[in-house]
Formats: sequence, structure tokens, C-alpha cells
Amino acid sequence: MSQNYLKVKGLSKKFGNVVALNNFSLEVARGELVTLLGPSGCGKTTALRLVAGLERQDSGTIFLESRDLTLIPAHHRNMGMVFQAYSLFPNLTVAENVAFGLQMRKVDRSARIKKAHELLDLVGLDSQSARFPHQLSGGQQQRVALARALAFEPEILLLDEPLSALDAQVRSNLREEIRRLQLSLGTTTLFVTHDQEEAMSISDRVGVMNEGRLEQIDTPDDLYNHPKNVFIANFVGLMNQVSGTKTGKSVSVFGANLKVKNEVVTDGRVLVYIRPEFVELECTESDADAKVISRLFLGSVSQVICQLNDGTIVHSLLSSRMSAEFAPGIRVKIRVNEDEVLVSNG
Amino acid sequence: MSKVRSQLSLIVVLMSLGIFFLLPMGAAFEYSIRNGLEGGYSFKNYLWAIREEDFVYYALRSFWLSSLTVVITLMVLVPLLTWIHVTKPRVQGWIDGLSLLPLVIPVVAFAVGAQLALPDVVKNTVLELPFLYFILSLPYAYRALDIGLRAIPLKTLVEAARSSGANWRRTITTVIVPITRTAVLATVALTFALSLGEYTLTVLLHWDTFPTWVTFVAQENLLGAIAISMMTLIIPFLLLAAISLLTPSSKNER
Ligand SMILES: Nc1ncnc2c1ncn2[C@@H]1O[C@H](COP(=O)(O)OP(=O)(O)O)[C@@H](O)[C@H]1O
Ligand SMILES: [Mg+2]
Repeated sequence: MSQNYLKVKGLSKKFGNVVALNNFSLEVARGELVTLLGPSGCGKTTALRLVAGLERQDSGTIFLESRDLTLIPAHHRNMGMVFQAYSLFPNLTVAENVAFGLQMRKVDRSARIKKAHELLDLVGLDSQSARFPHQLSGGQQQRVALARALAFEPEILLLDEPLSALDAQVRSNLREEIRRLQLSLGTTTLFVTHDQEEAMSISDRVGVMNEGRLEQIDTPDDLYNHPKNVFIANFVGLMNQVSGTKTGKSVSVFGANLKVKNEVVTDGRVLVYIRPEFVELECTESDADAKVISRLFLGSVSQVICQLNDGTIVHSLLSSRMSAEFAPGIRVKIRVNEDEVLVSNG
Repeated sequence: MSKVRSQLSLIVVLMSLGIFFLLPMGAAFEYSIRNGLEGGYSFKNYLWAIREEDFVYYALRSFWLSSLTVVITLMVLVPLLTWIHVTKPRVQGWIDGLSLLPLVIPVVAFAVGAQLALPDVVKNTVLELPFLYFILSLPYAYRALDIGLRAIPLKTLVEAARSSGANWRRTITTVIVPITRTAVLATVALTFALSLGEYTLTVLLHWDTFPTWVTFVAQENLLGAIAISMMTLIIPFLLLAAISLLTPSSKNER
């Protein structure tokens, strides 16, 4: 994919003394769904609002293809936005809400009503078109907001944690629906969330943000398997942290010597980061590393939770068939099925 | 037990309020339909007032001056407050304080000072009155509107409208005003009523409007003046009722 549809370069934004964005750069290809993922307060919303034109950057540029957006006001940017809070116009019906953007673009009445019904049909709410927002559930309202943002065929669809106010079941349904719609319409989408599962499940690429900067942007697989640093490793997916001893380029943990992936760490006691699926267990009586404290059956796989002698908790992900023998109380030896690991002085 | 008591206190409050407002109005009405020295009741004072040739002239003049004040108030306050709420929330405290100034500045000082600040086109014409009335009613109009704007998620709605392609003007006319309709109507009502009744400033600047004319005719026919006052109470009320009934209520239509 050529990454040159939306080009954001060196954006910085301060609110008083608070640095919300610090030299933030990002490129998004046409038709791609990119998610910005990060802890609360890391600047995700600010980045989205700058692209939408709802806020002005202190420095940096935003280009859409070759068009500089910096001086273009929000209402001329043609960006569809879905907000975290419910944002439907309470005085308009569902259909009128969806048609609002077209009305502002002076599309004639019959054409915009037709388009509104088309979109409501796509989000499965055409039967509700004559109702008012307050008569809908939270999930339905966000669907309408999505239809409203898509109705005028935006350059980019901007979604700011649109699912965070909904309950779990609705949330996972709607996120799949967003992805399905996005793929079928081919709308370039920038999605913001603090929920890594949400980010990893629907995105072409995920950008992990921390303190106003983009730490790493990659496909979900690459992000999970090759996190650039410890912050990302911890933020994306479940990660074990156990102590080991580093000498030069190798680290010793659970009696094995593994290669160190990242370099700027001093020798001695370090924290070693290992994914649960690389932790293998073996029943033992004599030289046990840990004791099983519980086993969570998740279907085809199970998570076995162990406690090391120093009290550290270690998660192991095993096929359910293989993990059946690890009942609580069993003493186990741990083997790391990985050659290269991230470490930190943490 | 406590429910009965709270209902009882509600009834007492409502009755006291009723008496407080209705008794003087009833008394004034009774007075306005007296026949003076001959005794008995009739509407002859009302007929007298309507037949006074200046009645219509001043009533119309006050009406359009007040209407203009309402227009100025809405055109200035709605966009300004919306913009401040959305983009400069920290300035709100200052605006709050500023809006109270007309209450503490003596009218004499205000009349002279504010007149100087007006644009030349309206200076020394009767058109200066709506601008001054606007400032005088600011403490009330501002608060009525502010309450309405605070009651809705204004920032999100404005941003939703703007990102959907609405400029500020259309955002205000097609989204904010319809949603805060009740508060806007309250602002209209307050501004209209206050401008219609304004006396001190008008007299200080030597203009004649309906209220100053009423005080003038009162010297000649007190009962007639009371009849006029009764009408000035009822006419704006009917007008406002008409406005709020005629404004389409989009909220609950199916
Ligand atoms: N309008 C604002 N005024 C002051 N500070 C703000 C404003 N918007 C955001 N911030 C601050 O900027 C930082 C980034 O905020 P935000 O972009 O909303 O983060 P996120 O969406 O990742 O939670 C936070 O520290 C936040 O408090
Ligand atoms: Mg946010």
C-alpha cells in the first residue's frame, strides 16, 4: 500500500503547559483503517481533532494528498467524525440526522432522504428512521452517528472511542460492523481507542501512542510479535515480566540463556518480557520454578496462572488438552520457548 | 407523613405566590373599570385610552423598539455565548461578571457613557434606544440563555455540526437555536418585557415611548392610565404566548 493519502508531519500541540502532542507524524493509505492506541491522556483525541480541523496545531503540517489542510476550517475538510459522547442532534429525527451533512452541502431533499435511508439500511436501522435520538439505545445512537458521518462520503472517517460508552456485547458487535462497513465502502479511517483488543481486532495497522508521540506503527501481528520497546510490549497483549540476569548480549532466566533484543540496558538484574504462549510448563517434584495457582479454561486454549517462588505471577497459554494436568497446587518447571527477548532495568 | 407535609408546604407557597401576584393585579383591574365619581363599573377607561390618538403611536413605537432590542440581543448573544462555551470556556467567568455591570452602573452615568460609544448612525436618533435597552437587559438575557446552553452538550453538538459541513452561522441557526428553543424564548420574553417597560433611561435621554407617555397621561386621567397599564401587561403576554405556540416544536412531533 502506498502510504500517501493522509500525511501528518511533526504535529505539536500544547494546552497551556500540557504537551498533548509532541512531534507526531503519521501516514495513512487510501482505504486503510489505522488505529491510534494508547493510554488515556496520551494525545489520541487531540491528534484526531487536529485532522478534523476542530483544533489548530502549534506546529507541523497535515496534507490530504497534495492539499495542505492547515488553513482549511473544519466544515470544509469533509471529514466524518464520530464522537465518544452521544452527539446526535436531539431536535432532528434519525433520518434527518443522517441527512444533515448533505443538507449542509445543499443536496436536494429527495436525494438526501434517499441517501439517508441507504445508510440507515447499512447500519440496520432503517426501521427507526422516523424516531428521535432519545428513543434509541446507546448502541443504536452510535450507529446513527456512524451513518451520519458516512453519508456525505467523507475523505476520512474519524472515530474517537465511539464504543467506549457501550456495554461489552454491543461493543464487540459494533466494532465488527464498523470494520465490515469500512471495508465495503473503502473509506479511509482513523480510529482512536485505549482498548488494545479493539485496536488489534479491526485495524490494518495500529499506531501505539505514548505521551504525545507515536511509538510504533505496524500491523497488529508485527506489533504483537515485534514490539519495538517495553512500553509497547506491555501495552499490546498480555505480557509476563520476570526477573533475570543480563550479561552482555544475553540474559539468563529460568536456567536458560536467551538473546537480548534491545540494547540500551545495563548488565545485572533486569526484567525479562515473555509472552504467555512462549511459557511452557512441565510437572516436577524436585527443582520447581513455580506453583500453579489457577487454570482458566478458554475453549481450545487455556491459561495457566503460576506463582514463582519470589511471588511473581506468570501466565502460560497452552492448548487445553495439554494443560489439563496443571491443576492448582501442582509444582512446575518453566521453559521459555523463545530465543530473543526484550529486557529492561525496570 | 413527610409527603403530606411537603405537599402542604407546596400548596402554601403556591397560594402565597398567587396572592402576591394576583391581588395587586386584581385590585388594579378593579380600579381600572371604575366609573370614577359616578360609581359603578364599565370599560369606559379602556375606550378612552384606545381613543387617545397618541395611544397607537406610542404603543407601536415601543413595540418596534423592543422588537429591535430582541433582534440585537439574539444576534449578539447567541453566537457570542456559543462561541465562548465551545472555544474559550475559561473566559466564561469574566463574561458572567461583565454581564452584571449594567446592574451596578447608575443609569445616569450609563446613559451618557454608553451613548458616546454608539456608532454615529444611531447616535442621537431614537435607534440608540434598542442598543441601550440591550445592555440594560443583558444581566437577565445573558443568564436565561446561558442556562439553556449549559443544559446541552454544546461542544460536542457544535463540533458534530461543523465536521458535518455546517459553518458557524448554520450551526447556530439550524442546530443550537432549535435545541435551546426554550431558553431562547425566555431570553426573547425577558428582553422584550424589560425594553417595553423601560422608563428611567428613556426619560433621561428625552425620548418618548409608551411608558413615558403613560406617566404623562396619568396626570390627566389616572383611571385611564391604569387601564393602559393593564393592557400593557396583557398585550406582551399574549404576544409571547403566540410566539411560543407558533414556533414549531420539533421535539415531540412524530
Ligand atoms: N482543551 C484542552 N484543554 C486543556 N488540556 C487539554 C485539552 N484537550 C486535551 N488536553 C490535555 O492534553 C492531553 C492529551 O489529551 P487527549 O488528546 O484528550 O488524550 P486522549 O484522547 O489520548 O485521552 C491530556 O493531558 C489532556 O488533559
Ligand atoms: Mg480521548
